[in-house]
Amino acid sequence: MNTTTDTLAPLFQFLDHTLTTAQTTFDKLPGSAVIQRYVKSSHQNDPGRTLLELILIIFAIRTLLQSRTRADRNGSHFIKFTDKEIDELVDEWTPEPLGAPLSPSEESDLAALPIIAGPNGPKPKLLATGKVATNLASFNFTGLAGNEHIKQRAIETLRKYGLGSCGPPGFYGTLDVHMQLESDIADFLGTEAAILYSQGFSTISSVIPAFCKRGDIIVADRAVNFAIQKGIQISRSTIRWFDHNDLGSLEEVLLSIDKERKKRRSPLTRRFIITEGIFQKDGVMVDLPKLIELKYKYKYRLILDETYSFGSVGRTGRGLTELYNVPASKVDMLLGSCATGLASAGGFCAGSRTVVDHQRINGPSFVFSASMPALLAVSASEGINILRSTPSIFETLQDNIRAARAILDRIDCITVPSHSASPIIHIFVRHATPALLSPPSHATPTKTHHSHPTSILSAKDIGREAEYDAEERLLQEVVEEALTHGILVTRAKRLRGQEMVEPRPSIRLALTSALTKKETEKAVNTLKTVLVKVLGRKR
Amino acid sequence: MPFSSPSPMALNKPSPTSSIFKKRSANPVLPASAASYLSALSQADARARTGTAAPSFTSTPALSLSSSATASSEGTVLDPAELENDGLVLPLQPPTSEQVFATLHTEFGHCANDEFRTVSVHPVGTPLAPHVEQDPPYYVLLSTYISYLLLIVLGHVRDFMGKRLTPARYKYLMPHDGYAPLNSDFDSFYTRRLKTRMDECFSQPVTGVAGRTIMLLDRMSPDYNHTQLFTGTRTRALNISSYNYLGFAQGSGGCADAVEESIKRYGVAALGARLEGGASDLLGTAEALVAKFVGMEDALISSMGFATNSTYIPALVNKGCLVISDEFNHASIRFGVRISGAHVRMFKHNDMENLESLLREVVSQGQPKTHRPWKKILVIVEGLYSMEGTMANLPVLLAMKKKYKFYLFVDEAHSIGALGPHGRGIADFFGTNPRGIDVLMGTFTKSFGAAGGYIAGNKTLIDRLRVYGHASPYAETMAPPVITQVVASMASIMGVQGFTDAPKALTDGEYHHPGPAPPSALPGWLHLPPALASGAEGTERLRRLAFNSRYLHTGLKKLGFITYGHAASPIVPLLLFNPGKMNMFHRLMRARALPIVVVVVAYPATPLTTGRVRFCVSAAHTKADVDVVLRACDEIGDVLDLKHGLKKGERWSVEECIRRAGELGRA
Repeated sequence: MNTTTDTLAPLFQFLDHTLTTAQTTFDKLPGSAVIQRYVKSSHQNDPGRTLLELILIIFAIRTLLQSRTRADRNGSHFIKFTDKEIDELVDEWTPEPLGAPLSPSEESDLAALPIIAGPNGPKPKLLATGKVATNLASFNFTGLAGNEHIKQRAIETLRKYGLGSCGPPGFYGTLDVHMQLESDIADFLGTEAAILYSQGFSTISSVIPAFCKRGDIIVADRAVNFAIQKGIQISRSTIRWFDHNDLGSLEEVLLSIDKERKKRRSPLTRRFIITEGIFQKDGVMVDLPKLIELKYKYKYRLILDETYSFGSVGRTGRGLTELYNVPASKVDMLLGSCATGLASAGGFCAGSRTVVDHQRINGPSFVFSASMPALLAVSASEGINILRSTPSIFETLQDNIRAARAILDRIDCITVPSHSASPIIHIFVRHATPALLSPPSHATPTKTHHSHPTSILSAKDIGREAEYDAEERLLQEVVEEALTHGILVTRAKRLRGQEMVEPRPSIRLALTSALTKKETEKAVNTLKTVLVKVLGRKR
Repeated sequence: MPFSSPSPMALNKPSPTSSIFKKRSANPVLPASAASYLSALSQADARARTGTAAPSFTSTPALSLSSSATASSEGTVLDPAELENDGLVLPLQPPTSEQVFATLHTEFGHCANDEFRTVSVHPVGTPLAPHVEQDPPYYVLLSTYISYLLLIVLGHVRDFMGKRLTPARYKYLMPHDGYAPLNSDFDSFYTRRLKTRMDECFSQPVTGVAGRTIMLLDRMSPDYNHTQLFTGTRTRALNISSYNYLGFAQGSGGCADAVEESIKRYGVAALGARLEGGASDLLGTAEALVAKFVGMEDALISSMGFATNSTYIPALVNKGCLVISDEFNHASIRFGVRISGAHVRMFKHNDMENLESLLREVVSQGQPKTHRPWKKILVIVEGLYSMEGTMANLPVLLAMKKKYKFYLFVDEAHSIGALGPHGRGIADFFGTNPRGIDVLMGTFTKSFGAAGGYIAGNKTLIDRLRVYGHASPYAETMAPPVITQVVASMASIMGVQGFTDAPKALTDGEYHHPGPAPPSALPGWLHLPPALASGAEGTERLRRLAFNSRYLHTGLKKLGFITYGHAASPIVPLLLFNPGKMNMFHRLMRARALPIVVVVVAYPATPLTTGRVRFCVSAAHTKADVDVVLRACDEIGDVLDLKHGLKKGERWSVEECIRRAGELGRA
């Protein structure tokens, strides 16, 4: 016993010495006395607290030291393997192929894709046949494609600016022509400002996450387009759905959210209504004045996607706000595309200066992407100038739409839910029970269906997908048959399996003012013959 | 000769500089000393110009294309006042009669000396040297942390006082009329209180071609950067900021002529998505050419670079798949992966050991909780990292891929065109077969002077993406003029068979990677001028870029700066650390008699302490331009105390760097 104490004596001595040195060094530190006093008195008053603080400090150190890139290796689900076992598991594992081959029908669809040789426009030449077709598929509402004046301006711009901007807007990629187009759009719509994105599709999926964060509330239409779905998904906000274009249903949802908030006394968060002007999925138009009334009543901000209504409806193509005579400043974020009505490329978001400036720092696809080529921006600016001064474009367009609808509405094997002023017209196969398929309208709200706002699936959608394959084949046949008659139309192509709701297959027409009323009538009449022939055969 | 005598743009060293340094040490408050420094700088510059530049300016320039092209090119914004020769608009050394320059000096610099060329290649079989991040002295780190701390404390104090004293100005940050604020004061704190202070460095509007030089629209702020007003004047500056690696940002030349022809033939827009009536013959031709260029079976083109990642990655992976992503991957990759619903894990930047141990973990553990095997594992790396200048370690990744059976996705946004002896990107640089990589993604914004991006892979995969990629049915296809720029610039890098005398040019009309493009791969109407079709100009651009990159990179290192990244990378980050120095560095560069515009990046684009300035070298720069940048960095580096990379004795003087440029650039 004695010997052990003897052998340990130097150790004790050393420990004692270290402790004293530590003590004196600590005392020398400025402010050490204060800390000492604090710890002492706090320990005296509440010894439990000392323990708690000690645990906290240890926890903090542990968190700091933990690897950023490793998941919790000590979690209950982690299994420890030896290196040999891991090697065996690695050898055993066989991944699925990165890209599975397409199904035969998908392959034939891809092969049947019409490819245009030379300029696209109202009457393009097809690569496969070398024949000219009447184009009811491409977006050229205002007929600006191929406009000689725009081409001339584009060439001038090319000579002055080159093609690419070679940089994101933040780093020497903001050109004066971009600022010009932004102010042109803002002026045209009557908003304070606008911001330009370099692709129409990526605009809204960037705008939504710029504003909507976790905990915010989004109320959206059940039939919103894919880009909006993705924007909502990435925002991680709380999402509530209302029936497609049914503002009665919207009001119910808004009321229920209000009630819930009052009940829970949760703090005020940002709230948004997201919907489309003319819906990409069926061409239905939203009742903007009523929507604005609701938005003000329940204090929501409105994100309105006008991709298909900007440059297509209203006296000079300013979109829904012009059609309904609502000041555009009442729409908080008004989005549109320069690729549809203006026959250029890119998209924009118009709104107040705060809204726009916020996106210049927070819009992912604005900040991290190169700005659009100068000549495309100038083309869009020129497009706006032409639209301002030529309202006759929209008279022709509306005449064509009316003429097309007059023919289509009388065919009984199809249904056309699209709004009578919409330049995109969706043709669905009429179902055996047509009552269910009539386009939902807020005038006669269908109170019989009750869908839950947390689910995007509407009560009346369920159980329909099975028929979609057959309908899709049928419509594809119509498209291919129409092409042999010199009419270029397209099925509304969808991302089957990736959409939140499988949309019903349809044929989507896009009318243009570049065709005369006669040409439109002729083309739609041919389409009618094909529709009746193909759909009639299958009945 | 420009490297025997001090360049006329340089500060006259002996007299003014030393006095400034004394002043600086006596009075360390930055703005005051910097302002006085600036005025002294421009005075010295003016003196130097009248002194030494005069003889070269008055000597009769030989008759050549260059002088006529520079003086009277159509459509170029040339200010008469600009014609005062400072080397920016006109070359300092007038060309001799043998030299013929077909480009505008402002867009693509005139540099005839073949000594200043090199090849971008990595010796096959040697491992990529690990990238060592040099640490600054502790006092720099400490002062950086203190700077941020000070900024944060000051910001909160100002917020606290402001909300009480001038509530109206904070209204947009507070809940009002039953609306939550769009922008909460907490979320926007960094933007309002830190970024606003250096707003003059960001979003500078410009006009004209973003080539070798760029025309800035001058602006000023009367209210501490809350608003920016245009003064109406313009400044031409040396552009070492745009992603114009091969110098194809040009308003004149063969590519621009081709684009003009395409506008006449095709118009401006594609009018719709690929699957809904927007596919054209031009798009098909371009996709086939891109596939050949990168050496894959097939490729598809998307109209926006960001969207190439954000809309096509979700078609590659979904729930039950794992994405392993480098921690410094671009925002578009993160966006795409998040949308895809796949599980994601990160590994330390370029750390192959970390990646391997992560792979061993994830393959053996399987999916979280259920332990089911992953459907597939996709490793996503970038060829060249845009903020670091580092390269993916491709040889190691390919070896690891064999063992662990993951799929490899390489984002070549910055590396395509910029690396490799044939400009074919990272695989070309390492001399490996690109087909060993599963998916090659890249953009046309950078090296090709266009816009948009591509994805290349085997035919089955690309066809699947054509149908399942989000952009395919919904996003507009690339506009014909943009496609033409891609085709023309790409073909001029490759050279066209029959026009080129490269040894690889075979006569069987087939394509052999990385060889010249068969004539059938171009649209029938596209006729490139001989210099482009032969690939001679393309090769010249590649060699100039390779030289300029190495020269700037090693030059800065020799001067004593801390830089990151591979010496062959055209992205050269120079570390500044302190947030306050970023603003000053930008301003000092911009205010020189020969203004230089730079990109400064700070948190959150980089880690907090490693704020940096990022140079993007271009083939359009001449050796003299890089000299100018080196001189400027040298002077400003002394003022701002940035030379922490080498000890005083080991540093080279800037004159020595310039004299031994050839040696530095070939490395």
